[in-house]
Amino acid sequence: MKRKEELEMLKRTYWMILVLIMVFSLSLSGNSVMGQEVKISYSDWQLAQDIWGKSLREAIAEFERLNPGIKVETEPVALAQRDVKFTTAIRAGAGPDVFALDVNPVKQYIKEGWVKDVTPFIEKEGGQQWLSDFYPRTLMPVTEDNKVYGIPKNTVAMVIVYNSQLFKEAGIKSTPKNWKEFRDVCKKLTKATKPGGPVDQWGVAFVLAKACFDLRFSVVLRGFGGDFLTPDWKHSALNTPEAKEAFNYVVDLILKDKVMPPGVTQVDCNEARRLLAFKKTTMKIGTMWSITEVSGFNPDLHGWEVLEMFPIPQKEGVKSKIRSTLYQKSIFMNPNTKHPEAAWKLMKFLTDKKQMEKWFIDNNMLSCRKSVNDTYGPILQSKYASVVKREIENAAFLPLIPQWPECLEAFRVNLQAAIAKQKTPEKALMDAHNQIEEILSRK
Amino acid sequence: MRIHDRYKGYFFILPAFLLLVGILGFPAIAAILQSLNLMWVSKPSFTVSSYLRLSKDAEFLGSLINTIIFVSTTVSFHLILGLGIALLLNLEIKRRHFFRVIAILPWTMPDVIGGLIWKFIFDTLPGFVNGVLIRGGILAEPIDFLGTPLLAFSSFIFAEIWRGYPFVMLILLAGLQAIPRHQYEAGAIDGASTVQSFLYITIPNLKYMVIIAVILDTIWECRLFGMVYSMTGGGPGYASQVLSLLTYKHYFQFFNTSYAASIAIILAIFMLIISIPYLRITMRREV
Repeated sequence: MKRKEELEMLKRTYWMILVLIMVFSLSLSGNSVMGQEVKISYSDWQLAQDIWGKSLREAIAEFERLNPGIKVETEPVALAQRDVKFTTAIRAGAGPDVFALDVNPVKQYIKEGWVKDVTPFIEKEGGQQWLSDFYPRTLMPVTEDNKVYGIPKNTVAMVIVYNSQLFKEAGIKSTPKNWKEFRDVCKKLTKATKPGGPVDQWGVAFVLAKACFDLRFSVVLRGFGGDFLTPDWKHSALNTPEAKEAFNYVVDLILKDKVMPPGVTQVDCNEARRLLAFKKTTMKIGTMWSITEVSGFNPDLHGWEVLEMFPIPQKEGVKSKIRSTLYQKSIFMNPNTKHPEAAWKLMKFLTDKKQMEKWFIDNNMLSCRKSVNDTYGPILQSKYASVVKREIENAAFLPLIPQWPECLEAFRVNLQAAIAKQKTPEKALMDAHNQIEEILSRK
Repeated sequence: MRIHDRYKGYFFILPAFLLLVGILGFPAIAAILQSLNLMWVSKPSFTVSSYLRLSKDAEFLGSLINTIIFVSTTVSFHLILGLGIALLLNLEIKRRHFFRVIAILPWTMPDVIGGLIWKFIFDTLPGFVNGVLIRGGILAEPIDFLGTPLLAFSSFIFAEIWRGYPFVMLILLAGLQAIPRHQYEAGAIDGASTVQSFLYITIPNLKYMVIIAVILDTIWECRLFGMVYSMTGGGPGYASQVLSLLTYKHYFQFFNTSYAASIAIILAIFMLIISIPYLRITMRREV
């Protein structure tokens, strides 16, 4: 009798487990089974930012209005956690249907198959003719072996953003054209604002923490005629005299001239914006978004009136045209998406002409579409857009190779080691060079 | 259906066993396969190159040394601080429950949040420590705590000592409360002083609890990631980089999944070796 009861209990337990598994499976696929509405998700680190997030959500609401059968779920993600979240989810067969990436990790995503080839969708839209409105250079990061994996959205070049009011107060009449002038201006602007008090205003703060280091620091190397890698991206170029000069220049600005605030090795892009917003620094390496971001930190600064831009200084006599770095944000489709048609519609919508104009009005961002940058009135009238658009001609992408994030980190930690006086600048640069050579030879 | 008595028990434990294999076994096996370039890689092929690379990687060796220094220092201080505070909280004092709650507060804080708070405290410009020292006239210029290698590593260790001591304290407090009162009474009758009672009654009775606390704390500190990630990011340079952070960097920033998995396996082997005494003690007690 007891044995029978036990067997019954065992059977019941297994039935319950079976039912639970079925309910769980149904709940996972429920949305597409039960209703006609297609649900897709969109993830973007800028959804987590106030101004960008608002703008993106407005656009997505408009997309849903125009496409009644498609519902878009927005998934904000912190920039620092973006690749952790995306790569883990995509490897596990999940992840957002559509997502945004900057150019840094794109080649690795393509190599690993973490982004879907959207060439067939583009062919349906008209192929090369449909793509012709995008700057050819902006298609480079999203293209591999003649296959297109993403749609370029926004692009900008890095420039120097400065507080014109503080320049005027210091009697500086013209912006620096070369790095010598830049150093002199930094020295003039580093001072105690209260007589007899400690130094509380500095010339500039470079971003030396991990977040956003790549775009900012590269312009110094390039402004001296150097670069991280050789033009074919196969070897380190840090053993060149130009790279040495640029490296020593930055170390000297911090350690000898002391024109950057103490603790600059921990300054990330947000901290650099905050320092400029509260007049702790007078310059930063930035671009179009700096105006909205800095103004957001301190509305009393009146950023749109006070902040100005000038091109990246260049060492006199340097022949290379390239002195700045290009930023680009593109939209990609998850290879695991169950609704590729709806996902494509969203990709197309977020990168169409009308939305590109919206990104400029809301976020001061230039477009990857030539037609928008060349004909849209507010862009043509913008004092910032004119500087950045000109600088795009003198800018290049950072190396578009899968090993790039590791190469960059090797350089950054060695630069930090030189600033922290753990290594001499010569040793730090040579170590960075050797490490990058080892990384590039490995794969 | 007729199940033989001998096997019936296995059916009852089957769901739990499958869950254990799924939750604990699968990630471990996946990590081993990944370290051998056999799983979740673009081109699977058996190789031990990741392990060979470890022996030549100066960054790995530096991180390993940092991990050993970090773990040994924090665990030692956790033990000293944890035992000291556990002894105080074991005294018959008023409001001791209130003090116990206060004492475990750092442990309730997520390590990422703890790291961010300590980052702010040690920051140069808006930082609390520099602010106090400068306003107090002790310093003319701020100290760059997190930008100076030795100070950054020490600040990180200090922050983790603060955050992690309640764990050891709680284990030792439980151990102290389990010591029979009559042992102290017998000691007092024999004329034992407070120090003698501590040395000959408290310490021997706490022996197993101390071993368990040290082992569990060592394992916990070996795995610590959030605090160092949010506080120093391993910098300046590699000054405060520990193995957990190096694993993260290789896996999620550089996408060197096999190499990251091999670092994780080495760390896991190290932790397994450490946990052997713990397993022996707990199994012996169960027997």
